[in-house]
Amino acid sequence: MKYFSPIAFTRAAIISLGCAAFLSLPRLQADEAPVQPSTNDLAFFETKVRPVLAGKCYECHSAAAQQKGKLKAGLYVDSREGLMAGGDSGPALLPGKPQESLLIKVLRHEIKDAEMPPKGKLDDSAIADLAKWIEMGAPDPRVAAVTVAGSRRIIDAVEGRKWWAFQPLVQPPVPDVKNKSLVRTPVDAFILAKQEAAGLVANATASPEKLLRRATFGLTGLAPTMEEREAFLKDTSPDAFARLIDRLLGSPRYGERWGRHWLDVVRFAESGGYEFDGFRPGAYHYRDWVIRAFNADMPFDEFVRMQLAGDKLKPDEFDGAAAVGFLVAGPYPGQTTVKTEEKIRYDQLDDMVSTIGSGMLGVTMACARCHDHKHDPLFQRDYYGIAAALATTEHDAAKRNSSGAETQHALEQHKQAGVSLAAALKKYETEGFSRRFEEWRKTSLPQFSAATPWQIVDVRSVSAKSAILVSDAEGQVHYAGNKTNDDLYTVKAVTFQKGVRAFRLDALSDSSLPAKGPGLSDNGNFVLADLKIIARPLDTKNNAPPVPVKLKPVAATFEQAGYPLASSLDANDTSGWAVAPEMGKDHAAVFAVDGATVGFDGGTEFEFQLRFTGYFGLGRMGLAFCNGAEEAKLGDAKELQHLREIQTLAAVSDGLTLEANRLGLLRWFSHFDAHTKALLDAVSQHERKRPVPEPTEIYTTRDGGRDVHFLRRGEVDRKEGRMSPGFIQVLMPSGDAEKRWTTAAELEKPAPHPRVSLANWMTDLEAGAGSLLARVMVNRVWRQHFGRGLVPSSNDFGSQGAKPANPALLDWLALELMRNGWHLKPIHRVIMSSAVYMQSGEVNPANVRADPDNDLWSQRPARRLEAEAIRDELLQIGGKLDEKMFGPSEANYESGRRSVYLRVKRSELIPFLTMFDAPEPAQSVGDRGTTTVPTQALASINSNFMWDIAGRLADRVQATQPASIEVAIARTYELVLCRQPTDSEIQRMKTFIDEQTRLLGNKPDSPAQAMREFCLAMLCLNEFIYVD
Amino acid sequence: MFDHHRNGDLALPTRRQFLQRSGLGFGSLALASMLHRQTGSAATAVDPLALRPPLFAPRAKAVIWLFMTGAPSHVDTWDYKPELQKRSGQPLPGSDAKTGFFTTSGKILASPFGWKQHGQSGTWVSDIFPHLSRHVDDMAFIHSMHLKANNHAPASMELMCGATQPGHPSAGAWITYGLGTENQNLPSFVVMHETRPRGDDQIWSAGFLPKTFQALTLDARRNGTIDNLVRQQVQSDPQQRSSLDLLREMNQQHAQQRPTQADLAARINSFELAYRMQMAAPEALDVNQESDATKKLYGLDNKDCGVFARQCLTARRLVERGVRFVQIFAGKNTGGDGAVNDVPWDGHDNIETNHRTCAAATDQPAAALLKDLSARGLLNDTLVIWGGEFGRTSDSQGSLGRDHNPNGFTIWMAGGGVKGGVHYGSTDEFGYKAVENKVRVNDLHATLLHLLGLDHEKLTYRNNGRDYRLTDLGGNVIREILA
Repeated sequence: MKYFSPIAFTRAAIISLGCAAFLSLPRLQADEAPVQPSTNDLAFFETKVRPVLAGKCYECHSAAAQQKGKLKAGLYVDSREGLMAGGDSGPALLPGKPQESLLIKVLRHEIKDAEMPPKGKLDDSAIADLAKWIEMGAPDPRVAAVTVAGSRRIIDAVEGRKWWAFQPLVQPPVPDVKNKSLVRTPVDAFILAKQEAAGLVANATASPEKLLRRATFGLTGLAPTMEEREAFLKDTSPDAFARLIDRLLGSPRYGERWGRHWLDVVRFAESGGYEFDGFRPGAYHYRDWVIRAFNADMPFDEFVRMQLAGDKLKPDEFDGAAAVGFLVAGPYPGQTTVKTEEKIRYDQLDDMVSTIGSGMLGVTMACARCHDHKHDPLFQRDYYGIAAALATTEHDAAKRNSSGAETQHALEQHKQAGVSLAAALKKYETEGFSRRFEEWRKTSLPQFSAATPWQIVDVRSVSAKSAILVSDAEGQVHYAGNKTNDDLYTVKAVTFQKGVRAFRLDALSDSSLPAKGPGLSDNGNFVLADLKIIARPLDTKNNAPPVPVKLKPVAATFEQAGYPLASSLDANDTSGWAVAPEMGKDHAAVFAVDGATVGFDGGTEFEFQLRFTGYFGLGRMGLAFCNGAEEAKLGDAKELQHLREIQTLAAVSDGLTLEANRLGLLRWFSHFDAHTKALLDAVSQHERKRPVPEPTEIYTTRDGGRDVHFLRRGEVDRKEGRMSPGFIQVLMPSGDAEKRWTTAAELEKPAPHPRVSLANWMTDLEAGAGSLLARVMVNRVWRQHFGRGLVPSSNDFGSQGAKPANPALLDWLALELMRNGWHLKPIHRVIMSSAVYMQSGEVNPANVRADPDNDLWSQRPARRLEAEAIRDELLQIGGKLDEKMFGPSEANYESGRRSVYLRVKRSELIPFLTMFDAPEPAQSVGDRGTTTVPTQALASINSNFMWDIAGRLADRVQATQPASIEVAIARTYELVLCRQPTDSEIQRMKTFIDEQTRLLGNKPDSPAQAMREFCLAMLCLNEFIYVD
Repeated sequence: MFDHHRNGDLALPTRRQFLQRSGLGFGSLALASMLHRQTGSAATAVDPLALRPPLFAPRAKAVIWLFMTGAPSHVDTWDYKPELQKRSGQPLPGSDAKTGFFTTSGKILASPFGWKQHGQSGTWVSDIFPHLSRHVDDMAFIHSMHLKANNHAPASMELMCGATQPGHPSAGAWITYGLGTENQNLPSFVVMHETRPRGDDQIWSAGFLPKTFQALTLDARRNGTIDNLVRQQVQSDPQQRSSLDLLREMNQQHAQQRPTQADLAARINSFELAYRMQMAAPEALDVNQESDATKKLYGLDNKDCGVFARQCLTARRLVERGVRFVQIFAGKNTGGDGAVNDVPWDGHDNIETNHRTCAAATDQPAAALLKDLSARGLLNDTLVIWGGEFGRTSDSQGSLGRDHNPNGFTIWMAGGGVKGGVHYGSTDEFGYKAVENKVRVNDLHATLLHLLGLDHEKLTYRNNGRDYRLTDLGGNVIREILA
């Protein structure tokens, strides 16, 4: 055991304690040099060990491999030093301990995905020899050809803090410039100083027309309307542009635009991705919260704190649950297996850690999952510290009350207002009703008769998982909003009759429904996946258990191929009854009771459960039953059940006097008696207005999870000690500064939740990550206004990112954000009212020669609009834009809602938006690409969408009854490009329209069609989708 | 090396040519040339699809990947295990009931199929592939594939994109990024499917690469094939031509005032490309132009395999016209008993009936593709890959089915640069785990890129601070199967 060295154990132990001290330990200490091996030892090494290592391992793990760029895992086995220091996975051998040595473990294939050699296992005898050698103390005469320690990177936190982005913010002096007249805001001084030094002459201010379009698109994602344009161009006051900025910042469209930018950063989507890409119906609340936060100019530090820990900071508020939608917006597989569960959990943590790192701090934490960061001073321990702060955070689709105290108050008021109505009904029920009913029973009841085979049920209650449903007095159920692909309707009705032998479902068409219904999908179809009916005794004294009614399919008005009625009764939720292509008509289906007829003594409550899968539910429907001697047919007549209920009750001697029956009777009777009806209606109408504290589904966090461990190489089966919450070393004054945020200020208080600590550290300007957080955000603001950030890699402020050409300006803006209490709107103002923002796009060859990348911002290039802005502006031009804000996402991509409200499903991204570079919501995206591909052009010239908009635009122009074709052309220019055409443009367009008219055969409708062609061409212009 | 694959100045070598093609006047060209790289977006605006030379002489120009969605069982197709046949019903040594998605019995299930040796190579094939078995001497088998993921979507992502998490670009996107396109009038990366496989867009995603490299998908259930490819009925060709002429003129005027912005020129050109695609793509996809003999060879009118036959034939037509990467996800039409539509080969309940149906739906077209490519001299330049998400367990699930098995399975390749009739790697005597010459996905990807003339360690793209590779941190070219 003379070669035994304790170093490897020591290091492992330190790591598992999670102490920062190990970071400064050199990989190998000089005093460890082994004693000279004996001759026998050497002979063993030379005959049994060296040949194996050289033959099987040197190719990837030697100094020679390193020279060829073939070194794998940073491991050298060509020296004892190399083996002891180990590679990315830690020391490869522990002298004297073959069983614990990594070398032996990988050779024995005990570690998944690290089986060595990769081409096939060594002979057992060779492995035994190596084990014996380690047992002997690993005597080794070889001398390291490279300094192992020198070839690996050792992070030094103290040095790391010196990286420009990690330094605290210090107020930079505003530079002195020669040409002071060009300075509109301090921003310009920083810009101008660099330009003057480089001998550049910046462009002058752009025309008001261009400024208007630039600013309006920039802040709202839409072009100015004709009225806005007119008003702005008329306004010659010096502060016209400043007031324009204020107006735009006050527009609700601002939050939609800038909220969307943030949604890129946080990889927002409304589904889980992976296997089934499960939809998250409550995920939209986060999107709405973001939009509201931008519109309200929530301080950015609060905005960040809420996203990290809103559920803990404001546990009783819906907003708290909505804000942490940030944490759970990432992909997460719905289907897991025992083998992959743990890996998936760490993947989920990785999604959060990476997004927090890239999105909030511009650091690539994902690179520190398996080892210390290769380029930046980020420790693997930092990664797992943040992961530990998130350890208890799990995804949850919860129901929360969206309005809390407000609802309570309203509820109380409502209750008070209803007291008198209820009292009047009660009085009537006990005093006047019996007499009135008896009289009617004697004189009028015998005159009525009821004989239709079907009895329509009077719906007592109706609800659905998602859809809002209401019932009417005719027994019909109407859809009133909030549809989803998958839904479950529950309808309840009662009867005092017995012998029910069949049921009927009417699926009714209606002009208010898409394609007239009866279904809610765009084409009017529906898929009834499953119908269940449960019968319960109504009389509380009847102890019979509820029974599921066994049904068999009898007939339907129509059965879509592959969707027969029978499949609405099978256990399979993916099959069902549907009616394509016979939509837009009334349909009905009959189900017979399979076995004995149904009906309890003392009345029965039927609960109908209709499950719809994949293609939306019904928009209008009715239910009926039959208890005649014969099973009713599909075509048989139907009427409401009331009369026969009364007859049934009247036929039983005590039926009318039973307390339990009285309210039921009132309802039946109200159909024949106006006075009763009025009293009942008053109560039910008031009841309908009750401010239900209806819990809303929200995709948020819940407490759960387990400990987080430090994972060697990021592998879940290589846990090395439990981690406690921690943060990024270089963004703290010292390695053990965490306590500052993780412990309570006063002893008696409980320690803050780890995510609250994380939020506190993140926004702590003095000692935490606040400086970097502010830098990263003002850079994002700059990036969206200029197309490129002051740091061009918005998500990476590390050494692999791009360095800022103007760091002083970045710091000045970050401090400006502080000075304004973290409010973003003042930052927009100071940037947008600067000369550099307002300048024109002319190309000055001298400037370009001196600064080809325009790093110094001496001109403003035209920028292509983002996918959402293109689509939204097309909708606006076509007069189709629906300005409705918030709420569940719109699944119909052809709707007029703004793009930010369209449904984002990870596996089915919206083709039009993806085509124009809307990012995949898998990781944080700070800088969208701008690509040009022929599929965009195909969509521009051939898609139904573009032709629809072009037609609408032509109609809009025609509707103003232009005096001449020239006027029509000019109006179109204003609508599409926000400017007047030149004379030559008018002439060229006129020629085009004439040519189109001729090609169309000079028919009476040819000019109108030619106008549409002209409008389409206008929408394809570069000038339309590029903003100067 | 490979500097032009740095995101910064992608495709700069072709700038001049591109600007000429886009029809900008020479004066502005000269200025633009001088002022290149002006805008943030110019890097990707300058024709990122332009043909780029491979790093070294490629062995294959195109790839057709026949993806057997749902995961065929290797021990019932290409990996013959006599021990399995002998010891049916006995406990499987070392079995782990939680290998797959459900729970397995731990008892050996013999393959229900007949096995025979075929070709000069004497390759064992089960009797469900009467057509493909005639081509074994063209195939290089990898019997030792293994994966991390054991469920369909993550495994598909791992095989296509090299990662089990979404957001990474798939091989087709990487290859288009690396090599550009041979035929500007057609997309370079085409995915065909019927029922969309598990994972949908995520498995053929361009991930963090620019959208330029995304796949064009052809849904076999739709006639329209490519979105927006067809002119609106109310518009005639002369009308559209006149409209495009107007656009070019007006857009050029606009671009001339902004001479530093090559992206404007790119967009001008994209309209002309679109116009040409309108003609080229329908022609490429029109299998009716094929002879009756060819249609018959593929089984176009055979109801059991018609859909896959049409897809395979279309793949050949696309490759012939310069499409780089075609991926076919065998779909619903091949659905065996009890299997769910989007994972037809998923024989959890009954391997025999499931695999017979799935094989009947894919065998003839796949074999026809090899034969047809060979007859046309295309097989030398075209790499055909056949395989599913993973293999299936050697022990039974229920009594007749098999669960997912990511620990060992077979993929074969044929054509472009691989040897025929070779077998690389192996599973243990029961086919339960890969043991010899184990191959990971990044080895497969490294080999694939190598065959196309790309070095997997040099094809990188920087995203969120890291230079990503298709092969992540590993990957070795499997030289043993190279011709």
